[in-house]
Amino acid sequence: MSRVSKAVAAVLVATALGLAAGPALAAKDRFVVDLVNEPSSLDPQVQWNPDSYYVYRNIFDNLVTRDDKGEIIPQVATAWKQVSDTEIEFDLRSDIAFHDGSKLTADDVVYSVKRITDPKFASPQLGQFDKITDAIALSPTKVKLVTAGPYPALLAQLVKLSIVPKAVVEAVGKDAFNLKPIGSGPYKFESWQRGVNVQLTRNDAYWGAKAPFPAVTFRAVPDAATRLANLQAGSSDLVVTLDADQAAQLKGSPKAQALIGLTERVAYVRLNTTKPPFDNPKLRLAAAHALDKQAMIDGLLGGHDKPVPELLTPAIFGWVDGIKAPEHDLAKAKALIAEAGPAAKAEIDLATAPVFDQRIVQAIQQMLTEAGFNVKIAMSDMATYLKRAQAGPETTSLLSFGRWSCACQDADGVLFPLLHKSSGWSAYRNPKMDALLEEARATLDTNKRLAAYKQVHEIVAADVPVVPLYQAVVIYGAAKNLTFQPTPNESMFINRMSWKD
Amino acid sequence: MPGFLLRRLGQALVTILGVVTLIFFVQRLTGDPTYLLVPETATQADIAALRHQLGFDRPLAVQYFDFLGELVRFDLGQSVVQRVPVTTIIASRLPYTLMLAAGALIVACGIGMPIGILLAIFRNSPAAKAAAGFVLAAQSMPTFWSGILMILVFSVLLGWLPPSSTGDLSHLVMPSFALGLLSMATFARITRSALLDELSKNYVRTARSRGVRSGRLLIRHLARNASIPVITVAALEISNLLAGAVIVETVFAWPGLGQVTVQAILARDFMIVQGVVLLGAFVTVLLNLLSDLLYSLVDPRIVLEGAR
Repeated sequence: MSRVSKAVAAVLVATALGLAAGPALAAKDRFVVDLVNEPSSLDPQVQWNPDSYYVYRNIFDNLVTRDDKGEIIPQVATAWKQVSDTEIEFDLRSDIAFHDGSKLTADDVVYSVKRITDPKFASPQLGQFDKITDAIALSPTKVKLVTAGPYPALLAQLVKLSIVPKAVVEAVGKDAFNLKPIGSGPYKFESWQRGVNVQLTRNDAYWGAKAPFPAVTFRAVPDAATRLANLQAGSSDLVVTLDADQAAQLKGSPKAQALIGLTERVAYVRLNTTKPPFDNPKLRLAAAHALDKQAMIDGLLGGHDKPVPELLTPAIFGWVDGIKAPEHDLAKAKALIAEAGPAAKAEIDLATAPVFDQRIVQAIQQMLTEAGFNVKIAMSDMATYLKRAQAGPETTSLLSFGRWSCACQDADGVLFPLLHKSSGWSAYRNPKMDALLEEARATLDTNKRLAAYKQVHEIVAADVPVVPLYQAVVIYGAAKNLTFQPTPNESMFINRMSWKD
Repeated sequence: MPGFLLRRLGQALVTILGVVTLIFFVQRLTGDPTYLLVPETATQADIAALRHQLGFDRPLAVQYFDFLGELVRFDLGQSVVQRVPVTTIIASRLPYTLMLAAGALIVACGIGMPIGILLAIFRNSPAAKAAAGFVLAAQSMPTFWSGILMILVFSVLLGWLPPSSTGDLSHLVMPSFALGLLSMATFARITRSALLDELSKNYVRTARSRGVRSGRLLIRHLARNASIPVITVAALEISNLLAGAVIVETVFAWPGLGQVTVQAILARDFMIVQGVVLLGAFVTVLLNLLSDLLYSLVDPRIVLEGAR
């Protein structure tokens, strides 16, 4: 060994030793979360993607929130009262301060509502809030929201409304606020090293449950195998978006565990009912009989997901027990296809994008082919997939696989877009269905809504415009001693986590 | 010399404009990012409204001349996803790309060139055969596999190196090796063939007959003469390393330009893609120009065309 190579080796060993000691010391006071991408922005009103949400939701408080079971509970609002079909009044907490020390008042709530509903602001979330036509501060702790007609999903949508400080946003402007967001949540924004990490520090003056870790770092780690390795090497404490195989690898790991939770997300196959062969209801029924949901779940998804008979999950309002969906029955499917004759043999395109689990897509193709259909997988990038999926029955594919989440846990956000004729996603035309969906979104009476949705589920089961597949799970990897309850809406509230002793 | 430079600079500008124009239109062939920005529940009207606010409903020609107008003012525009200036995004990523490229180049040259010399001078020794096997193995391993293997061995199993992300220099070790081992083979091969070429020349025989020792021959005569093809390849490899580190950056969560570019392409964040492509075209053209100039420094017999 030459002198130079000896020196290089010595440096390498020294740095390696230094680093091995590093993470173990840091882990105690700095909690490290590995996301897939970095947040696109931390202004809660200018984007819609999970990696941003995971971070900013810890910086901001929302008007209302959901507990770990999924029930809507107070956050900024302590109580609310429907004063008429179109007006709802909220009482606000009086003890909330933003991170700059200023008080959160009704003006900030009004400002937040008006900001996100202003078409010129161009928030991607506009569609979730545009039924709100006005927001009025009745007193510093009382706000009235006015909607265009009765809007039963309002509270479910308000779970996503983060309150921004009016004075700060107006003073610094949109771009500066995005770079240095100020909220009222359990964590304060500290720094954002673009592409590397976002760091937060605990808000010790927080009005609610105090966060367990003094500081949190969110990193972008795009490769799932690397996220898993980070966890096993102890360089991160929590990682998102693992699959069932990776969860299985964590079994018996001394350092890490998989945390698995059922979500509101429902996987489905949508059929284009306006074109052959699926304009024939019997062939739609054949497709439903051909698909073996339980086999997909057990064979490919590690058995964690749950088959569903209706186009919702139990985590969503509008779920009705006891719906009977066509059961898996290959013989029945084959018989129906034989009955339809050569019409059933037309080539069918199954649209999908790389973000979906391709094993599931291939299983769907294989099961339908086994029954006698002629299915080809049509893969495109996500943007093209989305464009085509929403292009209406004339141009959309005959089949498409998707996993739907309205992030609102209300049937109106799932059934209306996928089945009502006015929506680009819908490839189904049935006046009875349209009437039921309109009825369910126009009344605040929960019993009436449930009755309408029950009929919707029965039509879906009998007429098969979509085949609902399963309630999807979310899988996190976590340090062995972390306590964290995954929620149906896939939120990540750091102040609800803790270390086990 | 000034005439040569001016003509080459003119060519460079035309090349860059062509690349930028191509990327502008190709990206827009398949639509725009609005579908990716909105929640699933957004209606067609919501999507159309957002498209209008973002300006993607304007005619392509208008968007193109807007873009050129901004470019002339050195403004690369704003990311539609992140809503920050593209220059901010590129500036934050560029240092990491340069660090990784430098690390990989050190690995590639530091291992590749000695191996090339070994392969040329001690052709039939067992060491040369082993080295050839090593080169082949290193070049045959795809980085997504060798990268994750390194992480599992050196981070998870041995705990010597941090598994991913950035920090002190130790974070750079594994990504540099994963990336550099690929280019190493190129350097080994070029060094070997350039040396063999020179070794067969008359001046080498003459020098040997005069009793010049191998080491001195290598350093004084061969190295300089054999370096021309190596410089050419280095220029190409540097632009490859700058552009082609996507997989390594993804595996090691290294926040370089490759990673952000792929994400921007998938998200249809046109402005970022345009900015990065512009930078890439600029660097490639510049490096080619520099390597042309370097030739004449290394070999005075090469006279740049139009330099008289």
